[in-house]
Amino acid sequence: MRRVSPLILAFVLVPFVIEAVWVFWPALQGFWLALTSWDGLSAPRFVGFGNFSDMVSDPIFRTALKNTAIWLVLFGGLSVIGGFGMALLLQRERRGVGIYRAALFTPVVFSLVVTALIWRVFYQPDGLVDTVFRTVGLGNFVRPWLADPDTALYAVIVPALWRQIGYVMVLYLAGLKAVDPALYEAAKVDGASAWQRTRYVTIPQLKGVNSVVLSVIVIDSLRSFDIVWSMTRGGPYHSSELLSTYMYSTAFQSTQLGYASALAVVIFVLALAVILGYLIRAFREES
Amino acid sequence: MTGLAADRRTFLKGLGVLGAATLIPGCATSTKSPGSSGGASSELSLQSNLSSEQAKAAMENLVAAYNKTGGSQVKLNTVAAEIFRTQLPTYLTSANPPDVYTWYAGSVADSYAKKDLLLDVTSVWDSMGNYSKAMQSLSTSSAGQKIFVPTSYYWWGMFYRKSNFAKWGVTPPKTWAEFVAVCKTIQSKGIPPIGIGLGDTPWVASAWFDYLNIRINGAPFHRKLLAGEGDFTDPKVKAVFTKWREVLPYFDPKGKSFPFQEATSALLAGKTGMFLIGTFFADSAPKDALDDIDFFQFPIIDPAVPVAEEAPTDGYFASKKAKDPEGTKKFLAWLATPEAQNIYVQSSSGTAIPANPDGKSADTPLVKKGKAMIEGAAEITQFFNRDSSDALQPTADAALTKFLDKPDQIDKILADWQTAAQKVFKA
Repeated sequence: MRRVSPLILAFVLVPFVIEAVWVFWPALQGFWLALTSWDGLSAPRFVGFGNFSDMVSDPIFRTALKNTAIWLVLFGGLSVIGGFGMALLLQRERRGVGIYRAALFTPVVFSLVVTALIWRVFYQPDGLVDTVFRTVGLGNFVRPWLADPDTALYAVIVPALWRQIGYVMVLYLAGLKAVDPALYEAAKVDGASAWQRTRYVTIPQLKGVNSVVLSVIVIDSLRSFDIVWSMTRGGPYHSSELLSTYMYSTAFQSTQLGYASALAVVIFVLALAVILGYLIRAFREES
Repeated sequence: MTGLAADRRTFLKGLGVLGAATLIPGCATSTKSPGSSGGASSELSLQSNLSSEQAKAAMENLVAAYNKTGGSQVKLNTVAAEIFRTQLPTYLTSANPPDVYTWYAGSVADSYAKKDLLLDVTSVWDSMGNYSKAMQSLSTSSAGQKIFVPTSYYWWGMFYRKSNFAKWGVTPPKTWAEFVAVCKTIQSKGIPPIGIGLGDTPWVASAWFDYLNIRINGAPFHRKLLAGEGDFTDPKVKAVFTKWREVLPYFDPKGKSFPFQEATSALLAGKTGMFLIGTFFADSAPKDALDDIDFFQFPIIDPAVPVAEEAPTDGYFASKKAKDPEGTKKFLAWLATPEAQNIYVQSSSGTAIPANPDGKSADTPLVKKGKAMIEGAAEITQFFNRDSSDALQPTADAALTKFLDKPDQIDKILADWQTAAQKVFKA
């Protein structure tokens, strides 16, 4: 076996050491804190799995869990459908198609906090959204969008989607570029309709991209925080709380750092479960 | 084949660790404080949360003035208010903490003293004999030591535009019945009588809870409740909400959507009639509109209850681990002087009143009236978070905003509040 050059070794080890100090170690500490009760001032007190059993009877945790599930399904599902749809529409080189692609991708460039600020202006009383509803004769539906517990979560999902669809579209556009045109020709010769070509050629060919998109979507859904925090702070009265925002407010507003770490562990386990489930299946099919 | 399996396992393991890394915030149990310079002992570090433009400039003037007196050199480190609040426990528990901090008097300071993090400044109070009794007790820890040096306070009141009240033909009410009558008149003119701003600043609703509670049940009951010695499901607490419900129809429905700054604009623009707020709202109001602003005391509900007012007190405390305790105390003693407080009041927005009775407050009718109201009060409360802890505030925010939305669910709301508060008191 050839000796590994010291330079390569350095390239591996230096980032590893940095990661270990700044990432792995705090992460492990998070697991330990999840088993304690800690206010950030006194020494952490070991409570075993007490934090996790508290969660079972915590109504805010249940709301946050339910909202995270809604978020995963709506935000994840709609951004995949929307992104894939847009990619199909915009994949063929036509005059002006670049403008549409750019327009859809622009929201990705803004930071989510900026996006949130813009949308808050849209949603404010007598703002753009209210005006549009009144103009089309739906004035009865007008409500304080971000301050009504029935609409707050959905009012936040819309701008999150506005951004995510552009991102997913770009991933799919790249994937579509990689599909061999000969396959479509062959399918056409065999008399496949446009729908059949999409169903039996395009979608199977995008398997690689799909796993990337799925990981991105699941991770993005579970760590969605900035947009919710800057638009509603999980309010009004916890009705738009996600696990991530609940974790933050528990940690830094209520200073229950042990309980917050336990919430973080739950988020981690959820993300891992979804992604591992998919990856294991994908690997099995390959081998 | 076996090679692939092994690869897969390592890959998944790696992914797991990476996943943990991205999803779990680094809750470090010990951090170095950014504010401390740890250099020569003749330099004091002052950690300030007064980050708004005017207040920050006033602090710079203040520090520059002290540095000319020839004591220790003070280095001012201004931190954004929100960051300061969340980082304060970290500052105080770090190995090399900043020496002096801006913060609030009352329970909130005592909660740090209970953890033995604050410097005993009893000797500083030797030169502060002229301070009021209320200030003294606010600055004393539950262990009986002085731990805080108050430098200024402000007041809360029901603010309104004089010209609008004249236009609507109403006069400032004194009692609850008069207040309800004023609300009715203003509403009949098509204006929402009571402004509020709960979007982003839900804590503004706590002023209503505080005031109704101190008017109905009195300040001692209020303080005990906030200290965890009462129960939010107590019928006396429910009485507060029953009273509140009488005026709920008069609240501006749009107030749920915007923060108190916009509620201030709504008041100034005549889109709401009155607004229960602290004088800090003046920071976000145009100067010319301020001349038309007046306030009245929160209406009296039960004349038998000694009148209490909300007058949050600001000032300083120092870390137990201050590198030069004598120099720190000297600086604190200077901050307590009328000269130092005048420098601050003159160069800030001017609605703060010096804590030292010999200090000069801004010479406007509004400030004079506010000062007289506070001085005439039998009891002083601070504000919800200051009379309890910053950790209890979010539980109040959830309960009160829900009440404003769904007043008929009050029993469930109070039960949930008690559960949430219990968790905070236990932590």
